[in-house]
Amino acid sequence: RIKESQNAGKMKGSDNQEKLVYQIIEDAANKGIWSRDIRYKSNLPLTEINKILKNLESKKLIKAVKSVAASKKKVYMLYNLQPDRSVTGGAWYSDQDFESEFVEVLNQQCCKFLQTKAEAARDSKQNPMIQRNSSFASSHEVWKYICELGISKVELSMEDIETILNTLIYDGKVEMTIIAAKEGTVGSVDGHMKLYRAVNPIIQPTGLIRTPCGLCPVFDDCHEGGEISPSNCIYMVEWLEF
Amino acid sequence: MTQAEIKLCSLLLQEHFGEIVEKIGTHLIKTGSQPLRVIANDTGMSLDQVKKALCVLIQHNLVTYQLQKRGFVEYEAPCSRVLRILRYPRYIYTAKTLYSDMGELIVEELLLNGKMTMSAVVRKVADRLTETMEDGKTMDYGEVSNTFMRLADTHFIQRCPMAPETTETSDAPPPPAPTLAVNEKDMYVVPNLNLIGKGKRRRSFEDEDNGEHKAKRQKQDADSQESPPDDGIYWQANIDRFHQHFRDQAIVSAVANRMDQTSSEIVRTMLRMSEITTSSTAPYTQPLSSNEIFRSLPAGYNIVKQILDQYLTLLADDPLEFVGKSGDSGGGMYVINLHKALATLATATLESVVQERFGSRCARIFRLLLRKKHLEQKQVEDFAMIPAKEAKDMLYKMLSENFVSLQEIPKTPDHAPSRTFYLYTVNTLSSARMLLHRCYKSVANLIERRQYETKENKRLLEKSQRVEAILASMQATGAEEVQLQEIEEMITAPERQQLENLKRNVNKIDASENQVDETIFVLESYIESTVKKP
Repeated sequence: RIKESQNAGKMKGSDNQEKLVYQIIEDAANKGIWSRDIRYKSNLPLTEINKILKNLESKKLIKAVKSVAASKKKVYMLYNLQPDRSVTGGAWYSDQDFESEFVEVLNQQCCKFLQTKAEAARDSKQNPMIQRNSSFASSHEVWKYICELGISKVELSMEDIETILNTLIYDGKVEMTIIAAKEGTVGSVDGHMKLYRAVNPIIQPTGLIRTPCGLCPVFDDCHEGGEISPSNCIYMVEWLEF
Repeated sequence: MTQAEIKLCSLLLQEHFGEIVEKIGTHLIKTGSQPLRVIANDTGMSLDQVKKALCVLIQHNLVTYQLQKRGFVEYEAPCSRVLRILRYPRYIYTAKTLYSDMGELIVEELLLNGKMTMSAVVRKVADRLTETMEDGKTMDYGEVSNTFMRLADTHFIQRCPMAPETTETSDAPPPPAPTLAVNEKDMYVVPNLNLIGKGKRRRSFEDEDNGEHKAKRQKQDADSQESPPDDGIYWQANIDRFHQHFRDQAIVSAVANRMDQTSSEIVRTMLRMSEITTSSTAPYTQPLSSNEIFRSLPAGYNIVKQILDQYLTLLADDPLEFVGKSGDSGGGMYVINLHKALATLATATLESVVQERFGSRCARIFRLLLRKKHLEQKQVEDFAMIPAKEAKDMLYKMLSENFVSLQEIPKTPDHAPSRTFYLYTVNTLSSARMLLHRCYKSVANLIERRQYETKENKRLLEKSQRVEAILASMQATGAEEVQLQEIEEMITAPERQQLENLKRNVNKIDASENQVDETIFVLESYIESTVKKP
């Protein structure tokens, strides 16, 4: 009898522990929770936790998702939940791999769209204010264009497109302004809209890099009379024959 | 005075003035200001040689002297002035574009001779121009004087500081070194010379009228014995003004690239109007009202006032911030932010160097860091949308070349690496200085390579020179076609090819020296503009 009640107690105990862990994982909702965090919250020893997690997994109540930030970390969440963007990386990551080609393609498409818009505005030859305003495109317009192009398998939101446009700004090909827009106009967020416009670089490639010295990898070792010197520089020889 | 600068100065001095001057000049650059005897001692050269070398250097404005309190004179050679020698071709080219051949020759003569009187310049330039004109025509002195005056009016040439007028019979012995001074008002005043005359051709060997020549020669000697009326008033090229012009050119072309032709013309007009009124180190030009700009636009541009106003508003709103609006009177007062423009140009130069050396993705990271100032490794990857491994690789590469630096922010007092934030950042000023140093070394390398190439082919060059001399003398004495051809064949075809190659290489290296000098100019102007003058 005592054994039975003990056994029953154990079963109940582990049930309680399982229920506790399950509760904790449920609370974590989309983001999932790391095994160490579960341990802190439930105050159970590590071995117990691992056993319980294995149990729950086999019962198909929870699942483990690899986080894209730290690839060794595994977070646990309920089986039927979609992992959150911060864990899987969102639209740019497919199975933990950063989709650089996808980003490149989107990058070029946005750039081309803005450039054709700017050229059309320049060719219209109206007064400069109108020319400049018509060369701008709001992020909403670009988003619609990309969606219609249909090059993306995943659905992209406007924030995604804005991150792509930001990379174009860092490439120096595009500039951005923010204007105040009425609530309710298409594409406005919290009363303002971001406009983007293609621009040209302001200087030609500078003089230093037109010489071999500007791009030389062994520049610091080069001095007259040494192993590497201007007199026996092989890069100079090639450059002079060009 | 870094090692690279000193090396470059010594190469330039050697190429233009010879060994002795180079030794003395380099010594002065390295050691700062020194009196005459110390220079002679340290360089181990005779006093006479040192004196002559110093004369040459002072004549070319490369060395200044100062009377010290103890009564001896110290000589000093500022390194920056010697480096300007590299830029002489650009000055001459600018004069050519603005004032055509006459201006070009005037500036060239002034730069080659350091200081000259106006009459000497006019005479020489007229002679040179007459050489190039057709037979029978000569260049009038009046035209050359006109161009000279125009150059002085726009401040491209200026008077040299003069010795003060000696008062009557002063009993005190003259000071060991005269203190030169020039009155601000008189700096660009052209003396009222009545230069009448025409340029003379150099004597050629085939002359039928020897008698006339003898007479002319005597007359010319008589002329040169009288001292010209403007003796003592020497002119030199005003380097700062040329620099101002280059800076304006760079700003205008940047605006033309970013916006359109009309905007750049408007900016050019604004800069032209502020040429004389704003000093070269001012951060902003004087405010110009939109009405004034409208009146000063070049005649070819007939745009309406409203369009001009729109362009000005667009220029003022542009993220480049070259033009700013400072008030609303007179239809809107606009200024050009000179220091901001220089900073933007220098940053664009840095970006283009990063792009060419490391690739466009590195350039993306570089520009990202410029905008956001300080970022963590993870944030860099996220913003730039570059995979983590590649981003890390690129950041470390740029870090090793000192384009990017790390800022540590510790979380705990013991600075443990695992508990410290490491932020990447770009410091434009220090990167600009590093790049400038690299430019100096590159130019020194290019000059050395050019000299090496010439030295390698010295034998061939001497041979071709001899052949040319023989050809010329034979043509003068009327040799036959056959004999001429025989002489020409002394240079074989492959040798001719080699000579062609040599000429092409030397030209290429020369051109690239000028291109690097353009980069040097932008970076130097930027660094100068950040130095706060007391």
